[in-house]
Amino acid sequence: MNDYIKNINDAVIGYDIELVKKNVTDAINDGKDPIIIMNQGLSKAIVEIGEKFGKEEIFLVELMIAADACMAGVEIVKKSILDKKIAIQKPKGIIVVGTVLGDIHNIGKDILKTLLETSGFEVHDIGVDQPAENFIKKALEVNAKLIASSALLTTTAPHQKDIEENLKENNLKGKIKTIIGGAATSLSWSKEVGSDFYASTATEGISIIKKFFEGE
Amino acid sequence: MRTKVEVLTKSELDAIYQAALDILSGIGVNIEDNELIEILKKNGCTVGDNSIVYIPEKVVTRCLNSTPRGKVRLSGRDPSKDIVLEKDQKHPSVISHVLMNYYDELNNQYRTITRDDIKNFITVSDYLDTIDGNWMCTLMPDYGKLYTFYEYEIAIRNTTKPVCVSSFEPDSIPPTLELAEAVAGSKDELLKRPLTLAFCEVSPLTWNKYGCDMLKASSMWGIQPTITVETPMGDTGPVTYAGNIAQKIAELLSGLVIVQILQEGLPIAFVVPLETFDMRTAQICLASRPDYLYGLAVGQIEDYLDIPFISPVSPDSKLLDMQQAYELSFSMLSRILSNNKCLVIHGLDQTHAINNELLFLMDEIILSGRKMLEGIEVSEETLALEPLKEVAAKMEGSRRNGHFLNHRHTLKWFAKEQVPRKDNIIDKYRREKWIEMGSKSFVKRANEKVNEVLQGYTPEPLPKEIERVIEKIYVKYGIPLI
Repeated sequence: MNDYIKNINDAVIGYDIELVKKNVTDAINDGKDPIIIMNQGLSKAIVEIGEKFGKEEIFLVELMIAADACMAGVEIVKKSILDKKIAIQKPKGIIVVGTVLGDIHNIGKDILKTLLETSGFEVHDIGVDQPAENFIKKALEVNAKLIASSALLTTTAPHQKDIEENLKENNLKGKIKTIIGGAATSLSWSKEVGSDFYASTATEGISIIKKFFEGE
Repeated sequence: MRTKVEVLTKSELDAIYQAALDILSGIGVNIEDNELIEILKKNGCTVGDNSIVYIPEKVVTRCLNSTPRGKVRLSGRDPSKDIVLEKDQKHPSVISHVLMNYYDELNNQYRTITRDDIKNFITVSDYLDTIDGNWMCTLMPDYGKLYTFYEYEIAIRNTTKPVCVSSFEPDSIPPTLELAEAVAGSKDELLKRPLTLAFCEVSPLTWNKYGCDMLKASSMWGIQPTITVETPMGDTGPVTYAGNIAQKIAELLSGLVIVQILQEGLPIAFVVPLETFDMRTAQICLASRPDYLYGLAVGQIEDYLDIPFISPVSPDSKLLDMQQAYELSFSMLSRILSNNKCLVIHGLDQTHAINNELLFLMDEIILSGRKMLEGIEVSEETLALEPLKEVAAKMEGSRRNGHFLNHRHTLKWFAKEQVPRKDNIIDKYRREKWIEMGSKSFVKRANEKVNEVLQGYTPEPLPKEIERVIEKIYVKYGIPLI
């Protein structure tokens, strides 16, 4: 492994946002390939961190800080790619995420979003307390193939069913897939509302979403 | 230790101590050994009818003055792992006790302990950071009269942490002491890091023939005689706490006086349980309601005497069930919160059985107890106003949507403040995930961890020079190989 790649890896794994920024900036200033910095330096480190979290070897806060560190590096690389007019890699997939109507819990959604972004997906976060039509509207606007909705409350979880109904009404069911999660949800609830996928945790969601887009 | 629960005032402690002195000088101690009676007589005690020896306060004071105070060292192979019991310990030391039976909950088996059971239990204890040493008293039938030697040998083979022994057999002391010298490295080192050897007085206020033999056999340099008294409330001790504690102190001091007269300056340790005579079942129980209140007093009593108390925790439950969890938690936590210096934990079934999975419940209770002792740190940084400002500044439209999950303040402090586990022994999953993982009970999860430890962890092997000493001891004393 090249020294500059190792330095970037170490900074992400060391949860050091400022050092990630510095190492990425130094590498770019040294004329290193931004795509290699992105793939081998940043993505590889965050995948490793994600795997560790999946195996319960590190804690969520460590994953989140590492993801933030990674994203700080990604922003610098993206700017460099644009500046140098390098052909941008296609995202692994485009996803709309949000929390359903009446529900203002954002943490689970934010974890999923962070993990997806650091895994190379294009994520459009429509925020919390969002009616079903906003999920579909955004998905059509950005050409997303997947809608991920979160519901923390049993009183708001029925709005996940609204998303399925809305997709059917617009003849989009099957064309845009859905995944649900959140404390108020379960596999049986997923079957009841008719969502395509269910994830009990953000990391499980990443695994399911990766598999889905690999098959696309 | 910062948190401390106190249940006695200074004047109450004074009154209890004075009562103990009055017991020794006025009621006296029955000594079933003429040689010891003569020695005590020559050293300022008076002797009445029926071998009752009256110990005046000045003799007690003199012997307390010659006893090394405020610090007790329990030793094993690795000096860096020695348990040092002293004032201002950060948290209590914890010793797991090896007993005569093994309870296998998952296979519903209760058996006389085997060598493999002992080896496995000590290996898991060696693995756990929260367990500081082992205490041996298995009375395993195969070991015959030399069980103290055999137990000590098997223990030091499987742990580098301190190993203490209880003994009822004076003849087993010489070979055990020779092995302890090899473990310490030399005779001089053994004086600094002696073998801790416990034996028992008989209540009320009696040193019987066996106790006297043990006192004489163990009052020598290289041994740290460890006096145990048992005064079950309402049985051979008063049912009232104050009187029971006063009697305990009197009995402990009687042993201390004899040891100091036999060998002035010898370090001494005390093992002090609180037993309750259960009036419904006529059983002597250790983990009863009185034990929990006594547990809260232990730290104060040992600090008052300036001699650490090694304090037994002994659940009565026969299973790894809710009663076990209740008794273990209350007995351990009361002692921890009183700043007791050392807990020695018998597994279950009224000091009759051990269990490997239970070590992991102890581990969890110890971690929680230690955290409670630390108290709450209040500083500019822990008040976290700056991080809160940053989190509160994050908005989604006109609504705050920040959180601390990706804040460096959380990264810096979460491990210290939450003391999180990295294993799944304590279940924190949501129900669906728990079902997906096999709907396992605590015992099942702990059992998997035990198996993982036994397959993947090997205690540091015994050095060859100690192996050679063991071979010589077997030959010298004609000890049968088992």
